[in-house]
Amino acid sequence: MTVHNLYIFDRNGSCLYYNEWNRKKQAGISKDEEFKLMYGMLFSIRSFVSKMSPLDMKEGFLTFQTSKYRLHYYETPSGLRFVMNTDLSVPNARETLQHIYSNLYVEYIVKNPVCVLGQSLDSELFSSRLDAFIRALPYYSPRAA
Amino acid sequence: MSYTHALLPPSYVEIEMADESLFDFLHMEIVSHIYKEQQSSKGEMDNKDRAVCVSVLESMGFRVGQGLIERLTRDSPSFKDELDVMKFVCKDFWTKVFRRQVDNLRTNHQGTYVLQDNKFSLLTQLSSGKQYLDQAPKYLAFSCGVVRGALSNLGMDSVVTAEVSVMPSCKFQVVVQKL
Repeated sequence: MTVHNLYIFDRNGSCLYYNEWNRKKQAGISKDEEFKLMYGMLFSIRSFVSKMSPLDMKEGFLTFQTSKYRLHYYETPSGLRFVMNTDLSVPNARETLQHIYSNLYVEYIVKNPVCVLGQSLDSELFSSRLDAFIRALPYYSPRAA
Repeated sequence: MSYTHALLPPSYVEIEMADESLFDFLHMEIVSHIYKEQQSSKGEMDNKDRAVCVSVLESMGFRVGQGLIERLTRDSPSFKDELDVMKFVCKDFWTKVFRRQVDNLRTNHQGTYVLQDNKFSLLTQLSSGKQYLDQAPKYLAFSCGVVRGALSNLGMDSVVTAEVSVMPSCKFQVVVQKL
């Protein structure tokens, strides 16, 4: 049971934060390209999902899974996008992502007078609290399942 | 959030910052605005510019502190001596304004007091260590003024400065001016 990595994007597509805990395989492209790819893909999936939905949609795109990992997506009303990859034992990380937003991002970034919104998140306080939070999750373990 | 019922007598009024974030965000913007204003007319900020900004913030805090102390001591008895005043500042005043008590008060009994707050509320979101240490003074100037204003209306003229070495712990030094 584990968390692999986490991306935070703003509404313009810039990646504000990225960290990984347990990633065995890299994408083979530069980090910038990877972020662009991730954001672009999510943008397309969201629009596809809403277009093809046979019913009226509430939340829209939530997760996708492969045979090895699951990607969880959470978008705040302010346009911030949280993307987390976990292994398959985690069915729903929405609450986790919501917690990261309201208790970590809002507390340590929005309320930090030095952090300019829209720029990458440099605050060490934020990184260390986020790291501690991820490691304390019930479904986190240093080794992948 | 606390509010008063119209029928309760005035003594039941509680002073609580309706939502702490309101003041925190406003303070952040005040500091940012003052520094931007000073910078736009010059381009580069030198130490003199920084001193001007700090002093503007401090005088704003002074006026706020004066008003706050009137409000907070409305129903208190008068104070015995300087030390009593400082204890009030460290306990009741600090709790109402900065949401906790001062952790440590030291004095040389000759008019100098050092108030140490280990989790100063305006610094806790900045960092918990050395990151952004150089920016900390900007966010302490207003609070120094608040303390100086409060003391001034209690009859003590003082000079208040603050120093930080590890955030969010902060020491305020109050030097009472004798006439």
